[in-house]
Amino acid sequence: MTLHSEPAAPERAAPAATEAGAGAITPRAPRRTRTGPPGRRRRWLRTGFLTAVAVLMLIPLYVLVVNAFKSQQEILTSPFGLPAGGPDFSYLQKVFENKQFNIMRGYGVTLLFVVCVNVLSIALAGPAAYVIARSAKRRYRALMLFFLAGTFIPSQVLVIPVVYVLKTLGLMGTIRGFVLFETVLTLPFSIFLYAGYIATIPRELDQAAAVDGAGRIRTFWRIIFPLMRPVVATMVILNTFSVWNDFVNPQIILGPGSGLYTVTTGVYAAVSQYQTDYTVVFPTLLVAIAPLLVFFVFMQRHIISGLTAGASKG
Amino acid sequence: MPSTRTLARRRDGLTSLLMAGPATALYTVMLVVPVGLACYLSLTDWDGYSAQPEVVGAANYADLAGDPALRRAVTVTFLLAAAGTLGLNVLGLGFALLLNGTSRANSFFRMVMFYPHVLSALVVGFLWSAILGTTGAVNSFVTSKGGEVLPFLSDPDWALATMIAVVIWAAFGVNVVLYLAGLQAVPHSLIEAARIDGATRWQAFRHVTLPALGPSVTINLVLSLVTLLKTYDLVVSLTAGGPGGHTQTIAYLILWDSFHDGRLGYGSAQSVVLMLVTALLALAVTRLRRRGEMAVFS
Repeated sequence: MTLHSEPAAPERAAPAATEAGAGAITPRAPRRTRTGPPGRRRRWLRTGFLTAVAVLMLIPLYVLVVNAFKSQQEILTSPFGLPAGGPDFSYLQKVFENKQFNIMRGYGVTLLFVVCVNVLSIALAGPAAYVIARSAKRRYRALMLFFLAGTFIPSQVLVIPVVYVLKTLGLMGTIRGFVLFETVLTLPFSIFLYAGYIATIPRELDQAAAVDGAGRIRTFWRIIFPLMRPVVATMVILNTFSVWNDFVNPQIILGPGSGLYTVTTGVYAAVSQYQTDYTVVFPTLLVAIAPLLVFFVFMQRHIISGLTAGASKG
Repeated sequence: MPSTRTLARRRDGLTSLLMAGPATALYTVMLVVPVGLACYLSLTDWDGYSAQPEVVGAANYADLAGDPALRRAVTVTFLLAAAGTLGLNVLGLGFALLLNGTSRANSFFRMVMFYPHVLSALVVGFLWSAILGTTGAVNSFVTSKGGEVLPFLSDPDWALATMIAVVIWAAFGVNVVLYLAGLQAVPHSLIEAARIDGATRWQAFRHVTLPALGPSVTINLVLSLVTLLKTYDLVVSLTAGGPGGHTQTIAYLILWDSFHDGRLGYGSAQSVVLMLVTALLALAVTRLRRRGEMAVFS
């Protein structure tokens, strides 16, 4: 929120976050070389402590993975042990055959939502941000503030009146209604980030395009938009995770009646009533998070910087 | 007859409208109108179905004052937000200081601390409830060694403490990364200079690093506070509000009253208040911090 009170924020926020995420932190001035035993002991202490913390952080993941391959009996008698007699894949297989929640369909639906929201968000926020960034008129500066105000509204607060709006428009319980609402939630921060970025692109580029006879819409999509790749990537990562992990909005807007489950609402449907049947809980959770975690490990830098940029929107 | 210049300008204005219009329209219909509607619905008895909700005036707001469930939810939410904000920021800043610098090991540790944030809060809650529940992994282990069952999620006080701990586990990695970004703005030469002048590590941190981190601290505090005040998904999956409703947060109660009990008018009144309180608290923290920063530099 404080970020928004300063006009210079977008230019500053984006690179700062990228740097941190990239781990390409400016090379440190050489450490004061203390070769004596205290320095070495301190370093060992630090490494030991951090390793202990890392183990603590990873224990839940370990429990999740090993128990996804065990029988209920074995989970209860040896919750932290590796599966005796090798992993049993039958529980994982049952996840894929679950009648309450078809997880492959859940993945399909979620991916569809993610793609729709991202495309629509870019198509709407991009041109709007361009007009805002390039116009000196007061009314467009006011428009920026109008959008900024939206970043302060928690989506939980919105869901009740949005149900009313969607019902009035006949979009309640439909994919269209859900995608439109999720897209709107992405607009304020996208426009804020895009406009800040466009402001750093020299206007001479626009003028050159205009001289060549390109209209403003063409200038934006052909000349400016390709230059916005880093900031668009940040937003895509952010929107992908927020749609993927959203629980309240799909649960309420799509509703259990529609039979449309995202991965998250599907996990709720599959797990919430069987919370003590661990042969359902662990394999379901594992299947639900495995792709995300793999994606995270490979795209770590980009994801951390993207999500952190988003976190600072408050 | 308008000159070509005015014509061109008019066409330019039209293009601008064409480019900014759709986003503005959709945003207005689905975000601005709903905020206004929330205020209106909070004055009605809307049940989520009727097309014409009846206006009941300030009755919902009057009910807020005498609702014991809400009073408990307010206490829970504030304890969670206060303890959580403290924990997230102490750990966030602490680990950022430890991990400041480029090395493979540092980026590994950063990843390990950050990964829970990638998972949905719903999954995090289910996972921890399978670990800490009465028959969960930890209790199975404890009882197999002849110990008593630990009431992580079945005793009201334990359950709240567990929830705070899980929130911190899941989110402090974000604060680490935000503080690391902030630390890049602290010139290392300043710290070197202080150390050469004989300042201890703690003094250099207290009088050089921390003041320079001012804006980061503000962002982190406000961010943690605002996020924690609307905790919902985790409550659903970790405790489902229990035991006996003792871990219901405000956001949980809003959605429960609205969609379980069909009192969307009352839920709207609660959410209007939550929105105002969140905004006021965020503003207050920003203000206080700004005054604090002024004091440091004057």
